[in-house]
This record gives sequence, structure tokens and C-alpha cells, in this order.
Amino acid sequence: MDGQLLEPTLYTVKGMAILDNDGNRILAKYYDKNVFPTPKEQKTFEKNLFSKTHRANAEIIMLDGLTCVYRSNVDLFFYVMGSSHENELILMSVLNCLFDSVSQILRKNVEKRAVLDSLDIVMLAMDEICDGGIILDADASSVVQRVALRTDDIPLGEQTVAQVLQSAKEQLKWSLLK
Amino acid sequence: MIAFKRDKKEEEDGGGNPFQNLEKTTVLQEARTFNNTPVNPRKCAHILTKILYLLNQGEQLGTMEATEAFFAMTKLFQSRDVILRRLVYLGIKELSSLAEDVIIVTSSLTKDMTGKEDLYRAAAIRALCTITDSSMLAAIERYMKQAIVDRSPAVSSAALVSSLHLTSVSGDVARRWANEAQEALNSNNVMVQYHALGVLYQARKTDKHAVIKLVAKLMKTSPKSPYAACMLIRMAYKLLDEVDEGEELIGFIESCLRHKSEMVVYEAAHALVNLGRSGAREIGPAISVLQLFCGSPKPALRFAAVRTLNKVAMSHPAAVTACNLDLENLITDSNRSIATLAITTLLKTGAESSVDR
Repeated sequence: MDGQLLEPTLYTVKGMAILDNDGNRILAKYYDKNVFPTPKEQKTFEKNLFSKTHRANAEIIMLDGLTCVYRSNVDLFFYVMGSSHENELILMSVLNCLFDSVSQILRKNVEKRAVLDSLDIVMLAMDEICDGGIILDADASSVVQRVALRTDDIPLGEQTVAQVLQSAKEQLKWSLLK
Repeated sequence: MIAFKRDKKEEEDGGGNPFQNLEKTTVLQEARTFNNTPVNPRKCAHILTKILYLLNQGEQLGTMEATEAFFAMTKLFQSRDVILRRLVYLGIKELSSLAEDVIIVTSSLTKDMTGKEDLYRAAAIRALCTITDSSMLAAIERYMKQAIVDRSPAVSSAALVSSLHLTSVSGDVARRWANEAQEALNSNNVMVQYHALGVLYQARKTDKHAVIKLVAKLMKTSPKSPYAACMLIRMAYKLLDEVDEGEELIGFIESCLRHKSEMVVYEAAHALVNLGRSGAREIGPAISVLQLFCGSPKPALRFAAVRTLNKVAMSHPAAVTACNLDLENLITDSNRSIATLAITTLLKTGAESSVDR
């Protein structure tokens, strides 16, 4: 038979992409060297994918032998691609994680401008969701925790407060010792 | 109004995208700022983001350019800014296949991976393993084994996933680290459990008896992680393809039809109906589950169900007939793929009575 179930493997995701409302790539990653090896092929695929999905809000499509799940918001389109034999619900969980993570990072303001303003953090988030085709984490809040480093400024602030206290204590100690 | 619209459009296209019209040479020139001391984290992070963006857009860098950018980037290790450090890791991964002498960062990454900050450690492990070749493997082996059994799930997962990637460098990595993976399998974290199972399977897949033992052990305490459960179902399915008896394996897959995660239920149903040896009676429960999914509000679930039914209809058309009514409802589905699959399935199972409708 034609391998109805995949060989048990962790390599599940073939690609992830965020496109704008003209179908241009904002960010995209392809994890399988056998699937669209060159940027040119990838972009052709993205154009094709976009033209088939930008109007129909249908969540799932088979294209070029890949199962693609997708979701859109204002002027952004999120895609996750997997093999045509892959469990669609696993791909869906990755897509939801991608979307929810981006949404949390941008504080619910999921649109192109905001993504570009926080491009570095969104890149880090994509890197935390999928590593070389293996789902690294599919829980949005944990992904955000791993990358939302800007909020980490607060602990840094706390740290300086702690340092101030520490130095105050030391000064006090020295003054007592005198 | 039209003018307003155009203005808005222009604003969105031009001024709205700070990354538009980036020139490769200009950006690479800017990367020389990395050499300045002290490092300006915000400025450097922005330049590095531009480089990463260009690479992501498919811009090709020559070996010289890539190597130069890579070496400039290594200067950023001086800064302790968290975002910048994480972007450097990302840059290392992206440039590792293009630049030369990338092993120069080995010691910096090893230092970060054994440091205190968990967020650094996990990401440093993943970056380190992309630049590791077979000659370096021995040097990091001890750290990797420790990382696999680390109590931070992020670190443990990063080490497990990286060891799978490293099998392309050295085939027996998974086998050498199997003891640690075995320990990680008991983790409470769903992802660590899943990744550990993946490494263990990689280590044992050439030895059928070892796989049987692994599956038998895990079947008793069905994994908490839905991803691991799906993986286990696939392993059981593969074994059923190879061994003669397998009542327990089938029993396990059937029990997964009652799992609380839809993902696992679908995986189990899919496996059961695809098993070559089962007759119409055995696939009954799986078909009922798929029938239920046909009415789901989630398009992905309806798609998955009807796609599987479509395949079963070839081998067991009679078993699928029970779902005909549900399939007829899907003919008008808003998702065209679902509608098409429903029609072709009905053509295989439909009796004369349903053709009229």
C-alpha cells in the first residue's frame, strides 16, 4: 500500500508560513529538504497556496501533495504544512499554537504592522514551536513564556532593586562594624 | 474617499514595512557595527533581525559574505542582553550551513548551555547541535546526557530533539543516549515524554524485539501526552504489520478510541481502519467514531474523517454505508475538499436509492 500511516517519527511539520494579504511572505520556514528545496519553488507554492485559500475561510486544503491547515486575521495568513498522510489534528494543534503565540506576543493586535514591529520575537517564537520539523512545543502560553523576553525587563528591574537593598545592607553592616 | 484609500494602501505597503527594500550589501555593511565595543543591544538586535529577515526571504549569501557576517555576529556574545543573545543563536543556526569555520562558537555555546539561565541553555543546546560534526560529538556528549535528564522541560526537550537531528551526523547517537531518554520518558511534561519516545524509537527501531518490549511496557500506562499516544499508536500499527499475533496491540489501539484527546481518537480510528487484516466487524467502532467526526464543527476534523472514510470505502464499502447520511450532509460543505471527498466516497458506497438525491 502507499504508506497509509507514516513511519513512526517525530518529523511532522514540513513547513510554516506567515503571509500578508497580497500573498507575500513575511516569514516562512521549510523543514524538509525534499519539499521545495529552493526559495523560488517555495514562493511559487506560497503564491499558489494563497490564491487558493485567501477567500475561502475553510481551514484545511490539500495542495501539491501536502496537507495545509490555515487561519487568517485582518491582513495576515498563517499556514502549517505537513505530509498528506499526517494526522490533520496534530497539524491543527501546531497552527493554533503559532496563531495564539503570535496573538499573545502582539497583545491580541494580530496584524501585519504589529508583526513587523516585533519581528525578532515572532521569529524566536516560530523557532520555539518547531525545530527542524519536530514539534518542540505546542502550548502557546509556554512558547510565549520562552520568548516574551521584553516582559523579562521587570525581573531585571527587580534585580536592581534587590541589588540596591543588598548594597544598603552591606553599608549598614559596615557602619555597624565600625 | 478613493484618495484616502490609496493613501492608506501606500502607507501599508511602503512606510508600513520597515523591512521593505532592504539591500543585502547595505545590511551586511551595517553588520560591521557588531565589532564596536561596547555593544549597543537594541541597534545590533535590529540589524541582526534584518539579516535574518533577508535570509528568510530567500536571499542568497556567498560563503565569504556569510562567514564575514557570522564572525561579526560572534562579537555579540560580549553583550548579556537576552533578546540579542537569543537572536545570535538563531543567526548561528541560519548561517551554520553557509559560513565556514562555524565551530569557533563552540566554547561560547557550551558555556551558555551549562550556565544557570534555563532560557539560554535550551536554545544554546539547539544551536550547538547544528554546528556539531562527528569529530566534536565526543566533546559535548557528557553535557548532552546531563541535559536530557535535566529537570527543566525546555532543556530536556531541546537535548532530545537535538539528539534526533544528530543521528544524521552519527547514526548511533540515539542508542548511546537511550538510558537518559528512558529516564526522560517518565517526565510529567507532555512534550518531554513525546520527544523521549521519539529518541527511544530511533534507538531501537532496527531491533524488532526491543520495539515490542518498549510498546508493551508503555501500553500498560497509556502515555499522558497526546502526541506520545499518537506516536505509540503508529508504533503499534507498524508492529501489527510485521508480527503474526497482536491481540494486545489491537486491544490497545481500540482503547485509544476512548482517549480524551480528539487527536488520539482520530489516530486510533485511522490505524484500525487501515489495518489490512481486520474485517468489517473489527472496524465497526472506528467507523462510528469517524461518523461522529463528520458532524464536527471543526473543518479539519470533518476533513480528516471523510478522507479516511473515503479510503475505507475501497476495501469495505459495506461498512461505510452506515455513514451515508452524514456524508450526504457534507456534499454542501463550505470546504470544497470536504465536499469533493464526500461525493467520491458516496459514489463508492451509494446504492441506487441515494443516487437520486
